[in-house]
Amino acid sequence: MRTLHRIFYAEILKLKRSRLGFILILSPLMAAMLGVMYNLNAEQPGAWPILLSQMAMAHAVLFLPLLSGVLSAFICRYEHANGGWKQLLSLPVSRTGVYISKYVVVATLLLATQLIFMGAVLFIGLLKGIAEPVPWLMLVNSVLNGWLASLPLIALQMLMAIAWASFAAPLAVNVILTLPNLMVIQSKYGIYYPWGQPSLAMLPQNDSFGINVSLETLLFVIGGSFVLFVLAGLAYINRKEI
Amino acid sequence: MSDAFVQTTQLTKRYGSRTAVNQINLELNKQDIYGFLGPNGAGKTTTIRMLLGLIRPTSGSIRMFGKSFPKSRMDVLKKVGSLVESPSYYGHLNACENLETIRRIIDVPAARIDEVLSIVGLTKDAKRVVKGYSLGMRQRLGIAAALLGSPELLILDEPTNGLDPAGILEMRELIKSLPDQYGITVLVSSHLLSEIEQMANRVGIIQHGSILFQDSLEMLQRQAKHHIRLAVSDPRQAAHTISTWGIHAAQHEDLLTISYVPNEQVALIVQQLVQNGHSIYRIVDQRQSLEEIFLSLTGKERS
Repeated sequence: MRTLHRIFYAEILKLKRSRLGFILILSPLMAAMLGVMYNLNAEQPGAWPILLSQMAMAHAVLFLPLLSGVLSAFICRYEHANGGWKQLLSLPVSRTGVYISKYVVVATLLLATQLIFMGAVLFIGLLKGIAEPVPWLMLVNSVLNGWLASLPLIALQMLMAIAWASFAAPLAVNVILTLPNLMVIQSKYGIYYPWGQPSLAMLPQNDSFGINVSLETLLFVIGGSFVLFVLAGLAYINRKEI
Repeated sequence: MSDAFVQTTQLTKRYGSRTAVNQINLELNKQDIYGFLGPNGAGKTTTIRMLLGLIRPTSGSIRMFGKSFPKSRMDVLKKVGSLVESPSYYGHLNACENLETIRRIIDVPAARIDEVLSIVGLTKDAKRVVKGYSLGMRQRLGIAAALLGSPELLILDEPTNGLDPAGILEMRELIKSLPDQYGITVLVSSHLLSEIEQMANRVGIIQHGSILFQDSLEMLQRQAKHHIRLAVSDPRQAAHTISTWGIHAAQHEDLLTISYVPNEQVALIVQQLVQNGHSIYRIVDQRQSLEEIFLSLTGKERS
C-alpha cells in the first residue's frame, strides 16, 4: 500500500497523448447545447432546478453510465494491448494497489466531467439571465450525488474491463444495459439498477419523472453495491492468471 | 542445495487434466547464465510466469534469494527484471515515458532511464513513440525496462525472438556481459540449442513439462557420443573384416562408422585393414553435435 501513490502517478502518465479531454467535455457540451435550445422563462421561480433537469437528462441517464464504462475500458485498454499486464504485475506492486489506482483515476476523471457539467449549467443559467440567485447547494449536491452514484458502476465496469481483453465487449454490454435506463428508473426496482443510480441521484427530486426515492435509501443501496463490486473486482484481479 | 540463488522444488502447474509443468527442480547459482532450453510449448513460459508470480503453481515451491515466493513477493520482485514472451510496451508513449511508468513504481533515480537506454542503444530514438518501433527496438526497450531496477536476477523469455542476425549477436553479447559487469544472474529461455550454447554456463532442458537434463554446459557436451569414421577403398569388405573382431561397423556409402574405441584398438583396426589390402583414405573422429544430443534427450528423430 505504500506504493499506491507511485502506481497512481504511473497511471496518470499513461494517459498522456490520449484524447481524454475530448471524452470528458463531450457530455457537458451536449448538455450545454440542450440548455441553450430550451425555452426557459428566466423570470419564473425555480428556473434553476428546471434548467438543471433539462440539462442533466441526457447527461445523467445516458452519458454518465456510458462514460464510467468508457473510462474503465480506456484505462485497461493499453494494458491488454501489448502485454502491459504482465509487465506491470511482475513489478513489485500489489494487485490490489493496481486495481485501486486505476479505480481512483477513473473516479477522478468522472468527477472532472461532473464539475465541467456544473460549469456548463452555471454558464447557461447566467447566459439566460435567470433572476433567482445561483442555488449553489443544489448544484453541488446534484453533481456530487451523481458522481457518488456512479462509483459502484465504475467498480462493475472496471471488473469487466480487466477481465475482457476486448475493448468493445464491455462497452457493448454497457450500452445495452444503459439504454433501458429511462424505463427502469421509473420502476420501483430502479434504485437497485447500477446503470440507473446516477440519474436517480442527480436529477432533482420530485421532478417531472415522478421519481421519488429518498436520498438516504439510495445512498444506502449505492454504498452496499459499491462494497460488493469493489470486493468482486479485487478478488478477480488477485486471482487473474496473466 | 539451500544456498542456490533460485530454486524450485517439485514445481507443478496443471490446467485441468493437462500438466503444463511437472515437478521441476530448477537450480540457479549466483551469476549463472542459465539456459532454459526446450521446444515451443514445453513449459518454459509457464515456469517463468510462476517465477514472476503472474500465475500460481498448482503445487511445489519457489525460493529466490533465500526467500520463499510468492510469500515475500514484493521483496523478491524488487530484485527481478523480466521480459516475458513478446516485449510489453505502451504504444502511445515514447521510450522515455514507457520507462518512466515503471520508474515511478520502482522508485529508482531518473538518471537510470538514460543509463539503460544507452545500454540497449536506444538513446537516439528515445523520444519517438514506441508504436513506430521495429520489433528489434521494442525488444531492446523490453530489455531496458527489465534492467531499469538494477535487478539481481534477469529473466528473459526468448529474448532473440524476431531479431535479425545482427540483433541476435548484440543481444547475446549484452547478456554475456551482464554477470561480469553488473553481477546479474540471468535465466534465459530459448528453443534454439545453438543460442544457449553460446551464452549459458548452465543448462536445463525441458520437454512436455519435465526437466530432462540440468547441469553445466560442459556436462552436456561431455555426454556427446564419439564415433570414428573410416573412408576406405572397399567399405563392404572392410566392414566384414572389422565385424569378425566383434566390432560393428555401419556402412554409409563409402564411409564406415564405428562406435568409440580406445586408441590402441583404432591402431589395431587400421593395421589389420592395411594388411588385408584395404586402402585407408581418412580417419575422422566425430563427436555427436549438441543438436543431436538434444534430439536424443528429447526423444525425437531427426527428420
